[in-house]
Amino acid sequence: MIKVNNLSKTYTPHIHALRDLDFHIKPGEFVSVVGQSGSGKSTLIRMIIAEERATKGEVIVGGWDITNIKNKEIPTLRRQLGVIFQDFKLLPKKTVFENIAFAMEACGFANDEIDKTVKQMIALVGLKGKENRYPHQLSGGEQQRVAIARSLVHKPKLLVADEPTGNLDSINTREIIDLLKKINDLGTTIVLVTHNRDVVNSLKSRVLTLENGALISDQAQGRYLL
Amino acid sequence: MRSFLRVIKFAIQGFFRNFWLSIVTVTMMLMALFSTTMLLSIDYLKTATIEGVNKKVDILVSLKPKLEQAKVEWLVAELKADPDVQKVTIITPEENRALYEQSNLSDKAKKVLEVFGENENPFSYSLAIQAHDLSQYQNILTFVSNDKYKDLVDSSDFNDYDAFVNKIDGFAKVINKYSWYVILAFLLISIIVIFNTIRISIYSRQSEVTVMKLVGASNSFIRWPFLLEGVLYALVSILLLLALVYPLLNLLQPSLTNYFQDASVINIQQYFQANFWLIFGGQFLALAIINMISTSIAVRRYLKV
Repeated sequence: MIKVNNLSKTYTPHIHALRDLDFHIKPGEFVSVVGQSGSGKSTLIRMIIAEERATKGEVIVGGWDITNIKNKEIPTLRRQLGVIFQDFKLLPKKTVFENIAFAMEACGFANDEIDKTVKQMIALVGLKGKENRYPHQLSGGEQQRVAIARSLVHKPKLLVADEPTGNLDSINTREIIDLLKKINDLGTTIVLVTHNRDVVNSLKSRVLTLENGALISDQAQGRYLL
Repeated sequence: MRSFLRVIKFAIQGFFRNFWLSIVTVTMMLMALFSTTMLLSIDYLKTATIEGVNKKVDILVSLKPKLEQAKVEWLVAELKADPDVQKVTIITPEENRALYEQSNLSDKAKKVLEVFGENENPFSYSLAIQAHDLSQYQNILTFVSNDKYKDLVDSSDFNDYDAFVNKIDGFAKVINKYSWYVILAFLLISIIVIFNTIRISIYSRQSEVTVMKLVGASNSFIRWPFLLEGVLYALVSILLLLALVYPLLNLLQPSLTNYFQDASVINIQQYFQANFWLIFGGQFLALAIINMISTSIAVRRYLKV
């Protein structure tokens, strides 16, 4: 699903955000990427979603070499990925329904299909009855559920989650992680960036550990090492 | 077609759901439009006043007493042949007497006529001459002062008019010269204000653009609702301007008519009516284009995600 070969990212001649990363993620895997602040986790995610360009090496997502992706191809790539963020990144002036529908509208889906799929997704993330609420009328956990629903609405094979529980309390964190596990069970590959030790240890799945931009550990059923 | 309808839907949603931001943006635009419209009105008032004065000004040439009508008509024909002359009106001695009697002069002054009795008329023929333009009066004065007409024309009272005409003409030239600089400066200020208002409006919604980009929306799918919102701002601003300007004109017109004692000199309502599409359609078009260009520049910055 993801092939990262000899990947480096340098911001100025002396700031190395990533150093010679090499790893592959197979379809259907649930992979946690851990590391302290500044270790390069978020930079790695930004490169997978083509928000940043590599200085050296290559990133291949779903068979698509995005190292030299053209700007006009980026929307097409992002429509094949699901991405969720720590700050949810919802559209503040759109309702729950509209936020989720927007991802499909941008892809050009028909209204009937959007209506049907969005309703299914709202039910899946447990927000039935809150379709017409605006983001500021929801709790943090509910907002993250909307973001998850939006990221899944076009049925991506890969879901990238950048610190999705960073702004949530322990109960909401548990619920979001359970939801991600459920999505993974349905066949979606998940890359979870987190520095939450409990979350990583409870998952008992593959863990990539970054330190100063380098991959220092790749455990099949790992634990939080740092 | 589907995308087009969605773009319209998002534009309308964006306008109404960012209500206060839209109000602020439209208010700024309305102020710019109102200033431009007021400037146009002032320009019209200036032009109409000068034209009105031009229409009212004429040279009154008093002819020698007891002149035969044939000679008067010959002089009129000579004057009409002059390209500077627009109109010549003959005032007969009888009409001159009647005018004198109806004038605001004191009764004592009017009693002077009693010396002559009913059958004798001390007044001579006069000619009221109008030029096409204020600047031509000097030429007409020179023309009439020609030796050729010295046996016909009594030209002693020309000088005061000459000074007045020169003053009005000079004033008109100065106003015409500088009013365009003022209008251009004002337009430039309005464009800068509108451009920056749009930039601030988009800046406050930059995260929205970023999120749209991150969920896979294409640049045009993101850009077009913002562009249409710019057109919507222009439309609402123009409608509000109309709602503001027309009642003001209704209030203003009676005072102008009263001041000039003649509705035909300045009819600002008629001016706006006759130039409706040019003034309001032109302003709408210009504002919509400025908004779209400003939006395009402002949004482009946040599309690089």
